[in-house]
Amino acid sequence: MQSPDPGQNYFELFGLDPGFDLDLARLHSQQQRLQSMYHPDRYVSASARDKRTSVQLASWVNQAYETLRDPVKRSRYLLEIGGAELPDDSQTTSDATFLMEQLELREEIEACRLAENAMMQSEIIESRLSQRASELAAEFVVAYHAGDLDSARVSSQKMQFVQRIHQQLSELQYELEDA
Amino acid sequence: MALLQISEPGQSTAPHQHQLAAGIDLGTTNSLVASVRSGEAMCLPDQQDRILLPSVVNFGSEEITVGHLAQSLQTSDPLNTITSVKRLMGRAIDDLNYLGDVMPYQFVEVDNSNVPRISTVQGDFSAVEISSQILTALARRAENSLGGELTGVVITVPAYYDDAQRQATRDAATLAGLNVFRLLNEPTAAAVAYGLDSSSDGLIAVYDLGGGTFDISILRLNQGVFEVLATGGNSALGGDDMDQAMGQWIVEQAGLDQLDPGLSRQVLLAARQAKETLTEASIAPVEINYQQSTWRGEITRQQFDELIAALVKRTLTSCKRALRDAQVSIDEIHDIVLVGGSTRIPLVKTMVGELFGQEPRCDLDPDRVVALGAAIQADMLAGNKPDSEMLLLDVLPLSLGIETMGGLCEKIINRNSAIPVSRAQEFTTFKDGQTAMSVHVVQGERELVSDNRSLARFELRGFPPMVAGAARIRVTYQVDADGLMTVKAEETNSGVAADIVVKPSYGLTDSEIESMLRASMDFAQQDIEQRMLREQQVEANRVIEAIDTALEMDGNKLLSTAELTEIRKHRDSLEVAIAVAEADELKQLIKSVENASEHYVAKRMNTSIKQALAGKQIDEIEL
Repeated sequence: MQSPDPGQNYFELFGLDPGFDLDLARLHSQQQRLQSMYHPDRYVSASARDKRTSVQLASWVNQAYETLRDPVKRSRYLLEIGGAELPDDSQTTSDATFLMEQLELREEIEACRLAENAMMQSEIIESRLSQRASELAAEFVVAYHAGDLDSARVSSQKMQFVQRIHQQLSELQYELEDA
Repeated sequence: MALLQISEPGQSTAPHQHQLAAGIDLGTTNSLVASVRSGEAMCLPDQQDRILLPSVVNFGSEEITVGHLAQSLQTSDPLNTITSVKRLMGRAIDDLNYLGDVMPYQFVEVDNSNVPRISTVQGDFSAVEISSQILTALARRAENSLGGELTGVVITVPAYYDDAQRQATRDAATLAGLNVFRLLNEPTAAAVAYGLDSSSDGLIAVYDLGGGTFDISILRLNQGVFEVLATGGNSALGGDDMDQAMGQWIVEQAGLDQLDPGLSRQVLLAARQAKETLTEASIAPVEINYQQSTWRGEITRQQFDELIAALVKRTLTSCKRALRDAQVSIDEIHDIVLVGGSTRIPLVKTMVGELFGQEPRCDLDPDRVVALGAAIQADMLAGNKPDSEMLLLDVLPLSLGIETMGGLCEKIINRNSAIPVSRAQEFTTFKDGQTAMSVHVVQGERELVSDNRSLARFELRGFPPMVAGAARIRVTYQVDADGLMTVKAEETNSGVAADIVVKPSYGLTDSEIESMLRASMDFAQQDIEQRMLREQQVEANRVIEAIDTALEMDGNKLLSTAELTEIRKHRDSLEVAIAVAEADELKQLIKSVENASEHYVAKRMNTSIKQALAGKQIDEIEL
């Protein structure tokens, strides 16, 4: 089975100007508008093929939405449509300072697991991570709009690192809540 | 590939005949059926004016009974009277231990099947078959009450149900001869019933504690769109477990030993009764008849609260997780809604209220609200509300992954992804000359495959031998709007289509379903063929209608005369065949119409998306 027209750019799909800074409210309302056209609930009495197609189309819209909504995925998508080579998932950064910072963050997260006020500690780290993520996003925007795709790629990769650490932190917070 | 019938919401086409549709809440303890009549959703009673149908089936030596009568046979005929069968849906034999002693039946293993069956005087039955008895009883009630055949139903399932449990529910409906419009998550159904009731848009949390399952869903309501942001829960936690805890207490207090099936039923029934009494009263009497004597005791609400506090606390942990997954803080929740019979318990109300910092809402009957929401959705899906803007956007409750080296689980689709969703991932071979690869599909959040749910094992075979690491095997997971998944795997370098063998780890196979269908008393051989033919005829008519509508709209614009003639040729032979052909033949002809129109459909797809964009530009002008 073919997938729905892959030539369609996600930004065009939602009627948004391509760029990192997005009108998220508009993205959300466009997403709902497209789903109200393509969602399988609209094709319950249609032929089997139309049903299959609607599942594929609605999946595609969801994927497009997910890609644009998430800052890291959005930055990678921008690089992709800009023709830049994507950073490999397994690739590590060569920025030694950044690496040190990441290591320290990981250690802090491990340390706060044993801390007395673990949840509060984790929330402090969390706000630092959010802060760091927006700094990196700002770096990405500057590089991307200056057409410096190499630097943009580095920023995008760092954003991904920070996001992963954030996920680790969330896992820890789940554990703390369970306890 | 395209939708042949694209219409914007509100653009109703032909006048439409009212279709009979129903919403079914297939519960652990009780089941209900509801329908929209004269614009209002209502639960349909039986002839004795009772709304709740106890989810109990008795396989007596004379006949099979469902509901109140079956319930009354519980203690006298415990081994042939099946309660709480919902807890067994989609479960394998190995899972039974994990369910503890809740199930006092005799399970049997049937060759080559992982599906447990309960042994009764009428034979061995799987959970799917037992559930289909309940569905049949409800459908019959609806048809009597509505005065005609149902076009389709919406069946609710716990939001936290995994793929195997959902598939089992669908299979039960197939066995009952029902056309399922949609499997709808119970908390989402409840939100629909509430959301249409109040006009308030915003964030709501639905806390649904039933007889055997617990769900929490966080939704955003916005002008008829119900968007689930996150869901969580436990598909093996509910009122039954509280009965179990109190039953244990009774056994200890009364000093009962040697529990036979009849006595353990009696204990559980006494526990449930005391639990229900404690909803209003602060103390409840308990009475057990044991070895020609009677034990009398009493339990206070405080004692009961202590017995269940840990269970309730576990639900609150799930609530916090769901909020975190939804990226919503607790004070943003506009309403917290209670659903399910177990939310009548005062301790549940108090603890949920404390967590959310507000009085929970329970103005709709917690037993009925799910069925009412399902009825509203069924009415819409049947096409009775062409102008409705209602749209339900749900999520996948548990991550879907694949087994990688070392028994680790790599996630392909994360939990709480909006459905339908499709994701592909590439894998490669690790040995030179390898021509096959096995794919193990799992569901769950844990790192180790063995801690997650095994859903299916596939073998991709027949791709050409290559050096290690050169093959590119693309595995695609697709989850539909019912939360059900399909998987395909393909070696993309060779482009060779390889065969995939699917072996469901937990579910019934298609052939098992078919043989059950054949064996069931309601379907003689002739009936089955008749039904298959009717299904193909309906499908053929849909295909023709879709093609005609499309051709009328843009056939001349998008197709050459030769292409048009080709499509018409296949369409016409299908039309002629409808009245005279067998099911298989119709299926072939439908396929040939699809093949002939493939190219046309692709063109329409592109046009449709462009139209969607054009629509957006009009929006912008209006802004």
